[in-house]
Amino acid sequence: MVMISGARSPLYAKRRRRNVAMMGFSFGATAFGLSWLVLILGVLLWKGFSGLSVAVFTEMTPPPGSAGGLLNPIMGSLIMTAIAVAIGTPLGMLAGTYMAEYGRYDKLSSVVRFINDILLSAPSIVVGLFIYEIMVAQMGHFSGWAGAVALAVIVVPVVVRTTEDMLTLVPDTLREAAASIGLPRSLMIRRVAYRAARAGMITGVLLAIARISGETAPLLFTALNNQFWSLNLNAPVSSLPVVIFQFALSPYKDWQNLAWTGALIITLAVLTLSIVARFLGSQSKSS
Amino acid sequence: MQSTRRSPVVDVALQAGAMQTAQEQVDRSKILQRLRLGDIGFRWLTRCAAITVLIILSGIIISLVHGSWPALRAFGPSFLIDETWNPVTEKFGAIAPIYGTLVTSIIAMLIAVPVGLFIAMFLTELCPMWLRRPIGVAIELLAGIPSIIYGIWGLFVFAPFLQQHVQPSLISAFGHIPLLSTLFAGPPYGIGILTAGLILAIMVLPFITSISRDVFEAVPPVLKEAAYGLGCTTWEVARYVVLPFTRVGVIGGVMLGLGRALGETMAVTFVIGNAQRISGSILAPGTTISATIANEFTEAVGDLYTSSLIALGLILFVITFIVLAFARLLLMRLNARLGS
Amino acid sequence: MSVASFTVPTVTRAQVSADGLADKITIENLDFYYGDHRALKDINVSLYQGKVTAFIGPSGCGKSTLLRVLNRMYDLYPHQRATGTVRLDNQNILEPGQDLNLLRAKVGMVFQKPTPFPMTIYENIAFGIRLYEKLPKSELDGRVQSALERAALWNEVKDKLGANGQSLSGGQQQRLCIARTVSVRPEVILFDEPCSALDPISTAKIEELIDELKDDYTIAIVTHNMQQAARVSDFTAFMYLGELAEYGETTRMFTTPNDRRTQDYITGRFG
Repeated sequence: MVMISGARSPLYAKRRRRNVAMMGFSFGATAFGLSWLVLILGVLLWKGFSGLSVAVFTEMTPPPGSAGGLLNPIMGSLIMTAIAVAIGTPLGMLAGTYMAEYGRYDKLSSVVRFINDILLSAPSIVVGLFIYEIMVAQMGHFSGWAGAVALAVIVVPVVVRTTEDMLTLVPDTLREAAASIGLPRSLMIRRVAYRAARAGMITGVLLAIARISGETAPLLFTALNNQFWSLNLNAPVSSLPVVIFQFALSPYKDWQNLAWTGALIITLAVLTLSIVARFLGSQSKSS
Repeated sequence: MQSTRRSPVVDVALQAGAMQTAQEQVDRSKILQRLRLGDIGFRWLTRCAAITVLIILSGIIISLVHGSWPALRAFGPSFLIDETWNPVTEKFGAIAPIYGTLVTSIIAMLIAVPVGLFIAMFLTELCPMWLRRPIGVAIELLAGIPSIIYGIWGLFVFAPFLQQHVQPSLISAFGHIPLLSTLFAGPPYGIGILTAGLILAIMVLPFITSISRDVFEAVPPVLKEAAYGLGCTTWEVARYVVLPFTRVGVIGGVMLGLGRALGETMAVTFVIGNAQRISGSILAPGTTISATIANEFTEAVGDLYTSSLIALGLILFVITFIVLAFARLLLMRLNARLGS
Repeated sequence: MSVASFTVPTVTRAQVSADGLADKITIENLDFYYGDHRALKDINVSLYQGKVTAFIGPSGCGKSTLLRVLNRMYDLYPHQRATGTVRLDNQNILEPGQDLNLLRAKVGMVFQKPTPFPMTIYENIAFGIRLYEKLPKSELDGRVQSALERAALWNEVKDKLGANGQSLSGGQQQRLCIARTVSVRPEVILFDEPCSALDPISTAKIEELIDELKDDYTIAIVTHNMQQAARVSDFTAFMYLGELAEYGETTRMFTTPNDRRTQDYITGRFG
């Protein structure tokens, strides 16, 4: 029987070398990937932080050359986000409920699941065009409502997905126990299943909010932008991402600085929401 | 006749049951009736909500087709290959934005896929246990950063860096090689197709990494042990066992990443340079479909202009729909296989 | 049980005992820990060249754990460690700095669940060979064929070498795995409950195989099927709760065991 000569074999040495090289690559790739995170967040903190002050939250967007803040875009974003969530969440939750409870195995659910996943990753600028066609063109003007609806269209797929996933996780034994005391289906869903999946569904809503907080494209030609303080949703409303877009591409230094500060605010909001969502999600998994 | 003795408990129970009067029975059936109506109503409500998702998709397709109809009718199929983009003469062609969309996405995938796979391999094979969670979280943070942040970072930090340090070396390095010298021809603008592709690569990287890592972790340990048992090195196990086993899932993840790259707007708009033409060099400015729409839509005057932009949106939607549908089908097949 | 009137040969650590048995693997004072839990306690046993040693015992007694020490498979997982000495041909494989790939080339393993690689039948075998030798195609073909013949699988697959390894039946897949293990030319083969997922006919074929293989290899087999151990092995070790309760020649173990626990297990008092 031929014994493997082992370490002295050139083939083996080549294999060893290749293994070391590939492991080195994978380590390098990880360092490479992580370093971008550090670079981006680092620059963001550095450039955005210096402009951070109380004035940012209390003053309106200035004309170029004067000092100001980001009050109206922040307000506009908050309002439109709130409306988008108010519209999109119930719609998404009910759809997810149908797919998980009533129609778990039927054709409609499979089709909706497929379509929903595509909408989840669809280009958001296309959503903006869609709302432009059906709302802005019809109404004849840009409006905050259009912006909010565009954001709602982005919220719906996220909420549908998480609701369906969370409700499917609820064990059937719980449902059977509810049915055995005569609880009708809809009450069983609302009182038992929702409560069991509550943390997961809240996580879904938080993730949806995080997602739309940074969205610019759908707002560009629905809500447009507004230099002044306005609570009229029937007219253009300013929003933080659009203002950042406008200011960053401008040649004015103080506008650019405000853009960085605005970017920092959005990023902090998004990251906080993601961390809270993850924390809630892990809690519900461990319970 | 002597009755059989019953225990006192049974007697009481029988008496209590008998106490439900006719009235109570009527009330109870009324309640149940009401509950049942509410039940039917709720079920109908959820069903409508599910159908709404389909309505949204159809709405998107219909409105895009409707909005782009004037342009499609005016230009016909030549819209897809024409390079002119002239708002003044109202002559529009989509080839420059389509080219930019495809090339930036390809550049992004060429970088993000190998790097992402290697990171996934690191996380599943080499990384010490205590480090896995933090790195995983870091990757997801990278995915969560809004694209407009990538945009301004790209414009103010990355593009100048490339312009000063990287692009001059690229231009001189490839200056003498026949084909590549046109591909990497100067001047070093900083912004341009290559820059946009690189930024997209950083954006798509976290998606590829986390999907790959998830499918890698689903490989049955026995299969890996069998390979190690033959004396395979870690790399050989990854390349010859893990990767073939997870092939379908990885491709699904790559397609998902591609779908995102194609549709990305803000990160690209800042650094692509917005030049409505195709250049031979990837160092030159260009444009993508989403960047064109983002930049020009609000200033578009005239129906044909607006309609052409919507037509661009339709093309983008069709491309991403095909890619995402393909990805979804692949992942569905994978789930079916794992489940069996 | 009656008192034995003949001396039971205690086979322990002698290099070559009077019976002409050569130590292939010698285990001394082996302890194994999953985290803080001590799963193997002070194991002392030898595996002999060219013989089949069976490890039997109730579930959780540590027999698979012991097997996995012999090719250091536990190294893949954190929180698992072994202390003591395990000598393969006079070299302690538990010492740090060991080349594990080479060790595993010498000590092959067949698992409970058949694990064909996601490749063709031909590639499954060729893959292992190619790791260690650069062969021209004709020679490689010959090696693949001889490995498959050795595993009693050649006649069944010779016309479909290009088919996917996972398309075979369970018994065939397991024989493919045995062929793959054998193709790498190890010195020791470890079988971890190789037949527990197979039907009786495949099981019988594999037991025949083990009988043929023992001429060229040292074999250790873990099984929860006592009758299998009695059929297939030369020596049997009975393990109980992480300890080696008794060890000896198979015929003696099953007819006149010394230890009370062995006797109870064999007669089915507990399982």
